[in-house]
Amino acid sequence: MGVNDGIRDNTNYSTIPEGARPTLEKNDAFFTKKRFGFIFNEEKKTKEVYKEITKVQDLLSPGNSACLGCHAELALRTTLRILGPNTILAIPPGCMGGIGAVGFNGGAGAKIPVFFPLLDNTAAMLAGIKRKYIREGRGDINVVAFAGDGGTADAGFQSLSGAAERGENIIYICYDNEAYMNTGVQRSGTTPKWSWTQTTPVGEQTQGKSQKGKDMPMIMAQHNIPYVATANPSYMHDYIAKLKKAMKVKNGMSYIHLYSGCPTGWKFPTEKTIEVGKLAVETNLYPLWEYEDGKFRLTHEVLKRRPISEYSKSMQKYSHLTEQNLAELQQNVDANYKRFKKLCKI
Amino acid sequence: MGRVDVLNGNKAAAWGAKLARADLMAAYPITPQTPLVEYLASFVADGVIDADLVEVESEHSALSVLQGGVLAGARTFTGTSSQGLALMYEPYIRTSTMRLPIVMALVTREVISPQTVWGGQQDAVTVRDAGWIQIWCESSQEILDSIVQAYKIAENKDVLLPVNVCYDGFSLSHMAERVEIPDQEQVDQFLPKPNISHVKLDPNNPIAVDPLTPGPMLTEFRHKQVTAMNVSKKIIEEVRQEWLEMFGRDYGGLIDQYRMEDAEIALVCLGSPAGTARVAIDEMRNHGIKVGMIRIRVLRPFPDEEILKALVNIKAIGVIDRNVSFAKGMGISFLELKTVFGGLKMPPMIDFIGGLGGSDVTMEQIKQAIVITQHVSEGGEFQEVTWFGLDQIDVETLFTMDKDISLKLKGVSG
Ligand SMILES: Cc1ncc(C[n+]2csc(CCOP(=O)(O)OP(=O)(O)O)c2C)c(N)n1
Ligand code: SF4
Repeated sequence: MGVNDGIRDNTNYSTIPEGARPTLEKNDAFFTKKRFGFIFNEEKKTKEVYKEITKVQDLLSPGNSACLGCHAELALRTTLRILGPNTILAIPPGCMGGIGAVGFNGGAGAKIPVFFPLLDNTAAMLAGIKRKYIREGRGDINVVAFAGDGGTADAGFQSLSGAAERGENIIYICYDNEAYMNTGVQRSGTTPKWSWTQTTPVGEQTQGKSQKGKDMPMIMAQHNIPYVATANPSYMHDYIAKLKKAMKVKNGMSYIHLYSGCPTGWKFPTEKTIEVGKLAVETNLYPLWEYEDGKFRLTHEVLKRRPISEYSKSMQKYSHLTEQNLAELQQNVDANYKRFKKLCKI
Repeated sequence: MGRVDVLNGNKAAAWGAKLARADLMAAYPITPQTPLVEYLASFVADGVIDADLVEVESEHSALSVLQGGVLAGARTFTGTSSQGLALMYEPYIRTSTMRLPIVMALVTREVISPQTVWGGQQDAVTVRDAGWIQIWCESSQEILDSIVQAYKIAENKDVLLPVNVCYDGFSLSHMAERVEIPDQEQVDQFLPKPNISHVKLDPNNPIAVDPLTPGPMLTEFRHKQVTAMNVSKKIIEEVRQEWLEMFGRDYGGLIDQYRMEDAEIALVCLGSPAGTARVAIDEMRNHGIKVGMIRIRVLRPFPDEEILKALVNIKAIGVIDRNVSFAKGMGISFLELKTVFGGLKMPPMIDFIGGLGGSDVTMEQIKQAIVITQHVSEGGEFQEVTWFGLDQIDVETLFTMDKDISLKLKGVSG
């Protein structure tokens, strides 16, 4: 049984998790202004930033086959606008390649040079490109990856880590939808604990993924590269500022980890992506930070943290969680956040 | 006029890459290719070559860095062996499908398991259908020369395929001999700067490289790849001629023939056993056996017409294989050779498998092969595949040879 928001059936993209209970109310009653008023406070900043970015050319093909409400596609479109035409883009196998951003049938999906690396060699291929252009005296070209969490944290990790260690001057952006979505929602190294996926099902014996996900941005910060940031397309102004910083880095790799809401894989109504993304930040589950010159800094202060249950209830991938699970999750989130605040003070 | 030095195969390969002016290199050490990586590093450190040598974390990344480099217009070089090639397989097969003219030294070695680090040819022959051109060498001089030639072949606009310059691990990679190192200016004259534009990722001229490709387009694409492979035969011959005129050295083009003019029986081999075979052939000719040799210099594209032409009047063929195919427990050269005859009547052919895991293909073994092949040419009984060291061959008889050699061999199994 799917969720019906009264306008369209949001659940017809793939199956509802086995054992999941519907959490969202009919007629969209979950996201009310009364309940989530804080979400709308950011609207002004968002409007301003869209005014700015829509002035520059959209470099991604208008027709692509991303799902409605895909956070990553929104991020990619904006990313290309900011990077501009002096950019070479790599999109490894995954949703963003699959939607046609590289191209199909001999056609191109973007107005800049774009290609598919393999799932596991994006950083190495980009390193080769950038090195040659530096030799040619054209080091100003942005050489950029837009890769899923699987291509980044799992299959591509060796090549990414090696390139970071060697100080390759590339921009690596990971859009983290917390699973392998292109192949149909299987667990990845960054899939968080308890998430339902096709390979971490909810059944008699298991209740979603039993391990915690890898903390990729923190792992990249530990490589001591010049710039690392987390970002979230629901806070576009914050992301754009970070991307601009990443573009300025000349002495090594810059890495941005993008939270990426996926209505299809996480099972939430397609028009709620921005709100879900905001809940991730406002619950302190996904703090927005940057790491520069060896220092961590929060870029968005959460004034009043929301309970994690608000987040988990916004989608069906967590709908099997018990009160006890939620209490543990809340503890984890709070402890992580506390630890992070300490890091910022060092 | 160049200069003369004593170089092992790996150092000759490094010189080849230097003279070809490869400007982006990446490699990861593995026995017996390791010294090649060290030579390249020391060349860069000493300013002998002006190239970016990327010290990657694996072979997978080594080839991937080069792929990126070619996409930005670089001339690239790497080398590997055995497990390194296995780890590289994913980008490896893609190098040919993306039509990237990368040149790679393939220092051939056994593949594990069982644990082994010694020479053999199993790594290279296993990937013979991954779309790379494979040139097989017999000496350090040929390694150096072939690497420079390889760029000219790979970058030809009608070819645009990657090339492996294969040389047997240890037997060639570590054996030092006299090598003429040509002058840079002369090589520059032979090999112009690369101009790779079909896949260039350049913001000044944006294209998408390798987008999703549906069946009918892919079929056409694959067909073009095969055509390019065929065209490369002609280019390899042209490059051979040009090299001969400029540098006065020749190794044959697709195949290298030795004393085949009046030969009645022939040996066919690949790689390092050819050197030993030349000496064995000279000696056996003294015993009145009219034997010649065909060294398969290019395994892909397979020189079927050239081989058929050379073998047309031959009464029996003995093949030396340092590798095996699991098709029927025979060697790869043997298997490939069988396809040459198609519907034609095939002379008797015997396969000799040896030199595995670093063991030598010895002079004695090659003489045995020649004698058995002669015996077969005279209508003698034979077993299709002989494994040196496993199958009983009557060595005693072979070393008291005289004109009645074939009679004496009757009853020898093998
Ligand atoms: C070596 C290799 N193994 C498996 C695959 C199949 N594959 C294609 S996309 C994909 C998942 C990618 O997941 P992720 O990087 O998280 O991106 P998403 O699909 O979520 O956008 C897999 C496993 C592949 N392309 N290459
Ligand atoms: S499956 Fe998720 S990440 Fe993939 S295109 Fe659809 S919404 Fe985007």
